[in-house]
Amino acid sequence: MKKRFLAGLMAALMAVSFAGCSSDTAETAAPSEETTAAAETAAPAEETGEETEESSEASETPELSGTMKVVATSEDYVTLFDKFTEETGVKVELLSMSSGEVLSKLRAEGGTPSADLWFGGGIDAFMSAKDDGLLEQVQFDAASELADEYKDSEGYWYSKGITIVGFLVNEALTEELGIETPGSWTDLLDESYQGEIVMSNPAVSGTNYAVVNALLQTMGDEEGWNYFESLNNNIAYYGKRGSDPLNKVTSDEFAIGISYIDRGVEATIEGSDIAIVYPADGIPWVPEGVAVFKNSENVEAAKYFVEWLFSNDDNLRMLADIDKKDGLKLIKPSIEGIELGYDTAILMKEDLSLFGSERDAVLEKFEAIMGDKAEA
Amino acid sequence: MKFGSSEKAKVIRGKVSSDTFFRVFSERADRIVCYGLLGLILLFILYPMVCIFIRSLMGEAGITFGHYAEVWGKYREYLFNSVAVGVSTAVLCTLISVCTALFIYTRNGKLKLFLLGVILVSMVAPPFVSSLAYIQLYGRRGWITYRLLGLSLNPYNAVGVVLMQSISFVPMNALFLLGLLARIDTSSLKAARDLGAGPSEVLRDIILPLLKPGIYVTLLLSFVRSLADFGTPVIIGGRFSTIASEIYLKIVGYSDLETASAMNMFLLVPSIAFFFLYRHLMEKTGMLSDSQRASSEPFSLGLSKCRLMGAAVAAAALLFFAVMILQYICIFASGFMKRRGHGYVFTMEYFEELMRYDLSTMTRSVIYALIVALVGTFFAILFAYFTEWRRLKGRSFFDCLVTIPYMIPGTCFGIGYILAFNHEPLKLTGTGIIVIANMIFKQLPTSTKLCTAAISQIPRAQEYAVRDLGGGRFSVLRDVILPGLRPAFFGSFSYNFSTAMTTAGAVIFLINPGKKLAVFKLFDAVYSGEYAVASLISMLIIVIVLVVEGLVYLLSLKGEKRNVS
Repeated sequence: MKKRFLAGLMAALMAVSFAGCSSDTAETAAPSEETTAAAETAAPAEETGEETEESSEASETPELSGTMKVVATSEDYVTLFDKFTEETGVKVELLSMSSGEVLSKLRAEGGTPSADLWFGGGIDAFMSAKDDGLLEQVQFDAASELADEYKDSEGYWYSKGITIVGFLVNEALTEELGIETPGSWTDLLDESYQGEIVMSNPAVSGTNYAVVNALLQTMGDEEGWNYFESLNNNIAYYGKRGSDPLNKVTSDEFAIGISYIDRGVEATIEGSDIAIVYPADGIPWVPEGVAVFKNSENVEAAKYFVEWLFSNDDNLRMLADIDKKDGLKLIKPSIEGIELGYDTAILMKEDLSLFGSERDAVLEKFEAIMGDKAEA
Repeated sequence: MKFGSSEKAKVIRGKVSSDTFFRVFSERADRIVCYGLLGLILLFILYPMVCIFIRSLMGEAGITFGHYAEVWGKYREYLFNSVAVGVSTAVLCTLISVCTALFIYTRNGKLKLFLLGVILVSMVAPPFVSSLAYIQLYGRRGWITYRLLGLSLNPYNAVGVVLMQSISFVPMNALFLLGLLARIDTSSLKAARDLGAGPSEVLRDIILPLLKPGIYVTLLLSFVRSLADFGTPVIIGGRFSTIASEIYLKIVGYSDLETASAMNMFLLVPSIAFFFLYRHLMEKTGMLSDSQRASSEPFSLGLSKCRLMGAAVAAAALLFFAVMILQYICIFASGFMKRRGHGYVFTMEYFEELMRYDLSTMTRSVIYALIVALVGTFFAILFAYFTEWRRLKGRSFFDCLVTIPYMIPGTCFGIGYILAFNHEPLKLTGTGIIVIANMIFKQLPTSTKLCTAAISQIPRAQEYAVRDLGGGRFSVLRDVILPGLRPAFFGSFSYNFSTAMTTAGAVIFLINPGKKLAVFKLFDAVYSGEYAVASLISMLIIVIVLVVEGLVYLLSLKGEKRNVS
């Protein structure tokens, strides 16, 4: 009797493990509340086509169905994707991942990507993915309204926003340490900031990579590298996560952080002693990409999403609102209802095409500089 | 792979015939189960590792050892860093673990339950949030170091990494050592006392020698875990890097799978070397005495009378408990506090925000974790039974193989799974199975060590007794092994469940957008700087884990009672 119990237990364990897996697939296969209208909106193009002039073009979009899997930098975009679901009937599943992780995953998957759309992340990763042949070309009419410098000339990637970089300064700390608030990139070299500046390793942070590449472009190679060698003396350490500078400054650990600035950051530091400084000698910036993965399961839905997003200004305004960023004005100058909160003149002149092509060389050189002071 | 010859199926003295039939049948089932288990281990551990190895040889123009040359040339220093941190962590962590375990062992009543509770809670260390709490308490502006003691210590260095790793590995180790302590025959301790041995002599001459195998296991697991841990050096290493944190950087920053794979292979060298040293030590020592499991009545050692040794043990343990309790108070408090100028005010804001979060992922996490805990423990018991009890040939190899997932950073084990299972006929990417399998095998090393240690404490004589009475293998398994494994079952279940609920490194690459786990909500909150919400999500995870573990514990108590009656 007891023997059978034991055998039964083993069988039960097996059964549990399989049931667990199958119940899981059942769960995801079941339509969610958001997609109850899926069947009714079988012709998505008609609804959204009104916005674009050539509705005839848009209606050629194949019937969309199923699920679009998205890797994004944040889950905050869920409302935007809900709107897409509402209008097209395509269910959206969202997972947040950093762009470096996405790229590694793509390479490991060997041409069988487990997601359809890539939404957000430093443009250098998108350029690299294009070079590896991992992206799908997307062409649509409204693309002509997008500024050339923020999209790939062959349509492999587009920009959904622009990240700008500034300093976060913990003024309670600077006061305590008796140091001035820095106002420019050159100020950061002052001896008094030694060990008080945090930036992220440019390899993991698209934002800080933009800092390095933009300053090199602006100052020229020789002067630029000299600059980073001197700056290295003041850097406490290079964070291995993009959000490190922000976190370290807000938790009173370090006085100065080189960080992305958006309205989310503004909200975080509201009411604290932390100030945002836009360096007077120029703000580095980097576009955030959108792209479709080649060979993905629902490549059509993802391609249509890109078209849907950029063809309808309401969608873009919604995106700008979620992102709390106004850079979309630069990407699509014709858009109304989004105003730039800063003067474009203070943005650094950047040749984005160098971001991708120079990445390996720049990072290698930077690694050598960082290494010089490892374990000082 | 043959079984020991002494255990060839015996024809049993004429007993009930249906029993004989079942026995013959069970001998065959026995083989199937054994080979099935080993097959799964080969498929889910060896095969992904082979894929990683192949990847490390891939160059632009065919097979190359160039990545190895590059790693050796450029990152040799980090390898030494890893080993130095690993050794320091292993020693420090083992010291604290032994002290903590002894301290709990010598307490009674409610205090003991409370301390055990703290250990169980601290096994559920939510990623990132624990290290944030650590920095909040002991950082350059830490509540304790700066505000209380007026120190401004910089935790971003090797010392910080060692301290934090040691502290976070203690709960698991202490629980493991406690399991061994609980099985010490207290009558021999009493006898020693009656014969005039002082408490410190009992500790030094009886308890510690009996704990020796447990100490070796603790040293091994801590060393290997430290080597593979990338989270701690990434967060508080500052400018200090180890191989594991460089691997993380290679994957996340450069998407350079080839170099990362080669670094993994390097990482395996010290780990495997240490593993064989450990096996050698274990073979020399043997496990706890073959004594009959006899009296386990409470025995008051009177640690306070142990003078210097006792004081040291108590001090280390109390320090550890203080750190743990502070850490969790800090996490809890962060969920309800808001910065206002230089101070903090109480707020329910974040709690309300948590209530608005979509926590449906929590259900999936619990289901996955339950499957992982049950199947993982089941595999571990079988593995321990076949290798340790039945002395399966090649057990050294399999024991080493089973330990490998512990030796490499979780991210790489995850990448290995994608490489291995991204095409037919073994296409698992995008399914829940790959996530569950990854968790089971990633955690198998610890569960098997727990079960192996417990099984080796079971006196062989009990098997002979059952056999002499006509019992077959299943009777032995059921009446001798399983009851002896009950504490290990609970330990393994808790470990598997809580780790599955909080693990992220390995799973980040395997998870599918549609099948998120609760821990990703936590990540999302951390990444967007919402620490308060992150703290609350961790508290929620902790509560869920404790409730589930409590239920399992009650069930296992019930089982024990039934067994006795």
